[in-house]
Amino acid sequence: MSASATRRYDAIVVGGGHNGLVCAAYMARGGLQTLVLERLDKVGGAVATAELMPGVRVPLLAHSVGRLRPSVVRDLGLTAHGLRLVAPEVRSVSLQSDAAPLTLWGDVRRTAAELGAAGSSHDAAAYSGFDRQTRALSGLLARLMAITPPDPSHPALSDALGAVRLGLGYRALGTQDGRAFLRVLPMPIADHLDDWFESDALRAALAWRGVRYSAMGPRDAGSTQTFLADTAGTREGAAGETVFVRGGPGALAGALAAAATAAGVTIRTGATVVSVRTRGDRASGVVLTDGEEIEAAVVVSGLDPKHTLLSLLDPALLGPHLGWQAGNLRLKGSVAKVNLALSDLPAFEGLADQDDARRRLRGRIVLAPSVAAIDRAADAVKAGRIAEHPVLEATIPSLVDPTLVDGSAPARHVMSVLVQGTPYHRRVGDWDADREALGDRVTAELETVARGIGGQVVARQVLTPLDLERDHGLTEGHPLHGEPALDQWFAWRPLLGFASYRLPVDGLYLCASGAHPGGGVTGWPGQNAAREVLADRRRRPAWRGMPSRDAA
Amino acid sequence: MARSWDAIVIGGGHNGLVSAAYLARARMSTLVLERRHVLGGASVTEEIVPGFRFSVASYVVSLLRPEIIRDLQLPRHGLEILPLDGTFTPLDGDYLWRTNDHAQTMREIRRWSATDAEAYEEYGLLMVEMARFIKPILSAVPPDTIRPDPRDLLPLGGLARTFSKLPRRQQTAFIQLMTMSSSDFLDQWFETDPLKATMAASGIIGTFLGVRSPGTAYVLLHHYMGEIDGAFRAWGIPRGGTGGVSESIASAARAHGATIRTEAPVARINVRHGRATGVTLESGEEIEAKVVLSSADAHQTFLRMLEPETLDPTFTDEVRRYRFRGSSGKVNLALDGLPDFTCLPGPGEHLRGAISFSPSIDYMENAYIDAKEGRFSRRPYTDVIIPTLVDPSMAPPGKHVMSCFVQYAPYHLADGSWDDAQRETFGDAVIDVIAERAPNIRDLIVGRQVLTPLDIEQTFSLTEGNIFQGELSLEQLFFNRPVPGHARFRTPIRDLWLCGSAVHPGGGIMGAPGRIAALQVLRSRRLAA
Repeated sequence: MSASATRRYDAIVVGGGHNGLVCAAYMARGGLQTLVLERLDKVGGAVATAELMPGVRVPLLAHSVGRLRPSVVRDLGLTAHGLRLVAPEVRSVSLQSDAAPLTLWGDVRRTAAELGAAGSSHDAAAYSGFDRQTRALSGLLARLMAITPPDPSHPALSDALGAVRLGLGYRALGTQDGRAFLRVLPMPIADHLDDWFESDALRAALAWRGVRYSAMGPRDAGSTQTFLADTAGTREGAAGETVFVRGGPGALAGALAAAATAAGVTIRTGATVVSVRTRGDRASGVVLTDGEEIEAAVVVSGLDPKHTLLSLLDPALLGPHLGWQAGNLRLKGSVAKVNLALSDLPAFEGLADQDDARRRLRGRIVLAPSVAAIDRAADAVKAGRIAEHPVLEATIPSLVDPTLVDGSAPARHVMSVLVQGTPYHRRVGDWDADREALGDRVTAELETVARGIGGQVVARQVLTPLDLERDHGLTEGHPLHGEPALDQWFAWRPLLGFASYRLPVDGLYLCASGAHPGGGVTGWPGQNAAREVLADRRRRPAWRGMPSRDAA
Repeated sequence: MARSWDAIVIGGGHNGLVSAAYLARARMSTLVLERRHVLGGASVTEEIVPGFRFSVASYVVSLLRPEIIRDLQLPRHGLEILPLDGTFTPLDGDYLWRTNDHAQTMREIRRWSATDAEAYEEYGLLMVEMARFIKPILSAVPPDTIRPDPRDLLPLGGLARTFSKLPRRQQTAFIQLMTMSSSDFLDQWFETDPLKATMAASGIIGTFLGVRSPGTAYVLLHHYMGEIDGAFRAWGIPRGGTGGVSESIASAARAHGATIRTEAPVARINVRHGRATGVTLESGEEIEAKVVLSSADAHQTFLRMLEPETLDPTFTDEVRRYRFRGSSGKVNLALDGLPDFTCLPGPGEHLRGAISFSPSIDYMENAYIDAKEGRFSRRPYTDVIIPTLVDPSMAPPGKHVMSCFVQYAPYHLADGSWDDAQRETFGDAVIDVIAERAPNIRDLIVGRQVLTPLDIEQTFSLTEGNIFQGELSLEQLFFNRPVPGHARFRTPIRDLWLCGSAVHPGGGIMGAPGRIAALQVLRSRRLAA
């Protein structure tokens, strides 16, 4: 490897997660010789497809990708690189053990009609108004998410421009929505929904999106912001998005990798970065496990900020105070993942009629009977206990994408189950010892709404929060690289003064979910980070001296 | 024939009285109308058990604004605040005892954790800096969020400039204080559970939030506010109970020429052609005034005292949406002697301060979880004060009064509602918690008064028993308090103003709302003139 030891790039991206790939592709398109280094043998990070058994494929972690920025798809030509997105007409169906399922459709009128038929004319009437307000408020939030957060200590002209853009967006909302925006943003989602709806099942179905992947409960301030953020940048309203990748999420990673490569990015898998090298006071490259050194004037971390700052950097560079702050970043994971191969489509309570069942089950299948139930699961997490009744969000992607299961396979369907209420930090107990117990617990929960499902399981994969950390590089098992709470938001995500994607070391950037505007399969942080890297390159004459790949 | 006044102030609570004093001081003929036979609202002293005088509701002075004490010369009108010496947290076989003697406190915390002792210093300094930064906000007028008036934005702009010049770690601390849970915030500094729990407790007082709820960290600051307010300490008890504060403000108001009537409950605020013209008492008596200030909460003022059709329905909806959800109760005890704590037996200095039943963060959070489930905490957080140790005048010689502030007691119970039986079981739960650590308490009790949120609502006209006239949650602060777009002490009715804890900066015996409201009224009259 001595040849490549002298190899220089303009930019190195550490970690081939979806944000890392997006950032790399944009940087390459901006003229930077870019190298992506991925620890595992394939890129994609949390956007991956797992083979449960021969011929049976399932979303490994993320199962719905509807928040992916349309501009990312467009700019990088992902469709040309084979990306096929499938959006069912249904968004989510909340299963109740004692009542008919509650379905949220992409079609607002259809949802309202069913709410009315289910007995609440009040909610039926309120729903379209709520959907309209959600679109309006998340529209303004989307503008906030698209800008690079300012540093209050060094306001720049670009910040003023961003502020003006936001101000205009705020004005455009009008008096009612404008006031609503400032009021509801820091609100607990439970209170926000109380103002609108009377049906607990409906409130729970919506509140879930405010706390998904988080250690927050629906009664915690800030969960309305996360609810709106989950809609921001999509064409979805209150119901949220449900979009599958044909072939599994791994196909999205594949398209991103292809687009990046086409743009000139070099991707190396099986290459683990152990540290970021610095020369003087700026980043100069990275060191791999085998000691190989690769030089670059720009190092972009696609990992979470805690790991990046505490493990890849020399503590002396960080200094005691920043080190202390980085150590206090809150990424207490609260989710696990259970993937199932099923011999047949489970029979869900209240979804007897096959065709109707199939139509509704194409959406996110949510087991969150009430707001209080979601809250109890969160309370358990806060107390370091596994929730008695974790909240489940399952999808059966094989219903919309038959290619996931080969005809020859002993399974007919796959089920991807997100489990929330499983803290990474437990007071007692050890995840390695409890992995299978967790799987059984989840199947037992599913039994309450789909009797007999246990007997249909032909293969099962259980990913505990510890597995998410060890095998998928998510520190403390947090899929969002940090709590999406108000104290780790906007200009202080990950840390105040370092929210402009520039980390404390010159030339070191952060491009993933731990940066503004946060987690989820959006490509947003990667897009924003690339913009800043390229802006710095234009700004910094010092860079002109950097040898290009050809000169090396 | 009733005469006409320049100003009528509805409610003789401490904020109403502060408003009245400032208006009278500006030569406005001012009339205060108090529903009860005593002044002070929740800041009141009453003799519940013969010979025993209690600060019935509010029991300590935290943030009484120094400018009010100065402007109204309250000490000359009898205000005297006696320092509370520290906080004692009794535990099983041990205790955590922080006093105003810094060295002693450091030794005590070091006994628990050397690193915590070190952090405690740094934390304290940071908090004082924070308090210094936040202080101006307490006397600022919130801007209109839709059509901002540049004059209101100036002080805020100044604040933004100050913020941009703060050291990074102070900027960060400010943002964290506004957004974090007190538990998460303190976790950054400390490891000692009882220390964190006792400090975090100040973050949840009066709110329907737990120590792990985001938004509770901010109140941690209040403990440090006092330190920069000069002569007066952060926490203290007024001589004669919290009623002493109200009495001194009332006396100042009278000295400036204000008239104060008790047992004069207001039934209606009279409105003609969209402007307030006076009030009608429940007796039917009509009193005219150029301006009416209400120190009652938003529900009382807008939903009870105004004819329904006077207000725009969307505004009324927003008022209805405003959250109260009272969460606290109060137990006042008349004692034959002093409680004897197993962990630190005998009488002593440790009884002279606050005695906080907050052994751990889990204990605090579990008390909150009970409330979320719609029942009062089986093992409640209890903040105990024995005023007679600093002010013997409150009880007969050798006897004592004990004030127990309790959380959580939700206004809405999941099954049933607050009745006499519920009240007593609630009271017993509190006594049990105290008796666990001070077993002799039961034999000492010669009289007890238990206030449930319902009692607080009925006695003090505090909707749902919320002691702050509305939840101090992030979305109900500053320019959203009480209603977005109407946070500037004015109301949709011309010449009707709010001057109680219902408006910025909210509750506590601070007097700030009363003062800012009065100054706004005076300013508007100057502009009109």
